[in-house]
Amino acid sequence: MGEWIRFWVTAVLLIAGLVYLVAGVVGNCRFRYVMNRVHAAGLGDTMGLFFTAAALAVSADGAALGIRLFLPLVFLWITSPVSSHFLSQIEYFTQKNLFRHMDRR
Amino acid sequence: MDALELCRIVLLALLLGCAVTVNLAKSLLQAVIIFMAYSSVMCLLWILMESPDLAITEAAVGAGVSGMLFLLTLKKLHQIGGKDGEEL
Amino acid sequence: MKRTFRSWLEGDLDLLSEIPDAAEVRNLSRRKLKEIHKEERSRIRALPVTRRVAHLETRAFQGWYRILAVGCCVALLGVFLFMTAHVTRYGEENPRASEVADRYLTRGVEETGAINAVAGMILDYRAFDTLGESHVLFTALICVMVLLQRDSKNMRPDHEDYFRIQQEWYYPTERDPILRRVGMVLGPGILMLGCYILLGGHLGPGGGFSGGAVLGTGLVILASALGDETVDRILTGKRFRWISFLALCFYSLAKGYVFFTGANGLENHIPKGTPGAILSAGLILPLDIAVGLVVGCTMFGFYSLFRRGSIGGQ
Repeated sequence: MGEWIRFWVTAVLLIAGLVYLVAGVVGNCRFRYVMNRVHAAGLGDTMGLFFTAAALAVSADGAALGIRLFLPLVFLWITSPVSSHFLSQIEYFTQKNLFRHMDRR
Repeated sequence: MDALELCRIVLLALLLGCAVTVNLAKSLLQAVIIFMAYSSVMCLLWILMESPDLAITEAAVGAGVSGMLFLLTLKKLHQIGGKDGEEL
Repeated sequence: MKRTFRSWLEGDLDLLSEIPDAAEVRNLSRRKLKEIHKEERSRIRALPVTRRVAHLETRAFQGWYRILAVGCCVALLGVFLFMTAHVTRYGEENPRASEVADRYLTRGVEETGAINAVAGMILDYRAFDTLGESHVLFTALICVMVLLQRDSKNMRPDHEDYFRIQQEWYYPTERDPILRRVGMVLGPGILMLGCYILLGGHLGPGGGFSGGAVLGTGLVILASALGDETVDRILTGKRFRWISFLALCFYSLAKGYVFFTGANGLENHIPKGTPGAILSAGLILPLDIAVGLVVGCTMFGFYSLFRRGSIGGQ
């Protein structure tokens, strides 16, 4: 019984993570503007990896291994928003026709 | 065919794809980014081949330092960024 | 000969551009060719004596250059073919090579004291290789320094590159508060990871090259997040040179001692320690540190030279 609950929790978390990652990849390919692309890439980096790491931590045997899986996640949650922030900031400073790309409705 | 073998085949296909796409990239910036992706795939392959020493070096040098040096060179040569309004 | 060659080296004279293109010559008719030769001979005869000698030297150099180029190519080809004739055929087992590999794997721990067989291989059995590799990295750094270092000659305020960096391209990333905070958190962490990889090379995966590369990356992150001046305070140009010099010297001397005693069948007095402890494996740990320092310095030096054309802000 316990094994089954664990399996289904892992499966649901893994599928959620994959959905986020696929959304990130599709958005990165479909969007044409930098800001939108940064948004899509950040989605896959943060939520997708969080759910994947959670799934792996649930399925791991032993708490030590499970907690260790979250260390790269902490690293990525610090670095990924910063790089997104910088990309958008540089775009904001250098793009002269910024307002043309904005959706002003 | 077990899962590890499938992983290896997919990674090798990605490696080949990256190696071919580097030559076909439209701009130098794209080529550099694809080259960094090539290094990351190679790093995973080293881990699958059970040589973590090489994997660490590949991740630090191939994907980190050499990509950064390429980007700095492109910046020196003013090759990053198109003309005004043009999107990469 | 000497003078022309010298001026070629110094870039005043382009000797190789005067060699006529073979295809061009082949397309000319014989009569036209004779005319050209005659013209040239009369042109040379009209020159003053000193210039004529220089011209003859040039022609002699061109002839020698061709002969030497072809000779070098043929010699290299011969060496390569000779070597490939002695390589084991594809699919066959090389008895000597497999013997060596077996020895590394079975007796590596007792002979080198390192649990990680790779560390034992690259820093004990094949340490000469690694010495050459660190020297190659150092030489590459010197070449980059020669090419990119800014000095009084190439750093004029009206220089176009300098001007553009000042005007529009240079974005002072260290002023950004978010990046500063993240650099303060991440930089020490990455440096610590680098030290761990560097010091644990004989116990697990890692070692000099990878640890040094991670250290260099950590310094680069610190430099771009907190400003170049912060790293300049830790790693001044003088310290940079001394660290590289001392690390390479230590490597050469320590390995020279081991090679000398090993080749002459003497006993070396370096304790192996118990395998698995941090202070074990004889010379591998100090050599790892030396290689790591050189590699880290080289990586950061590359970044620094590419980015602003100087190491340690001089």
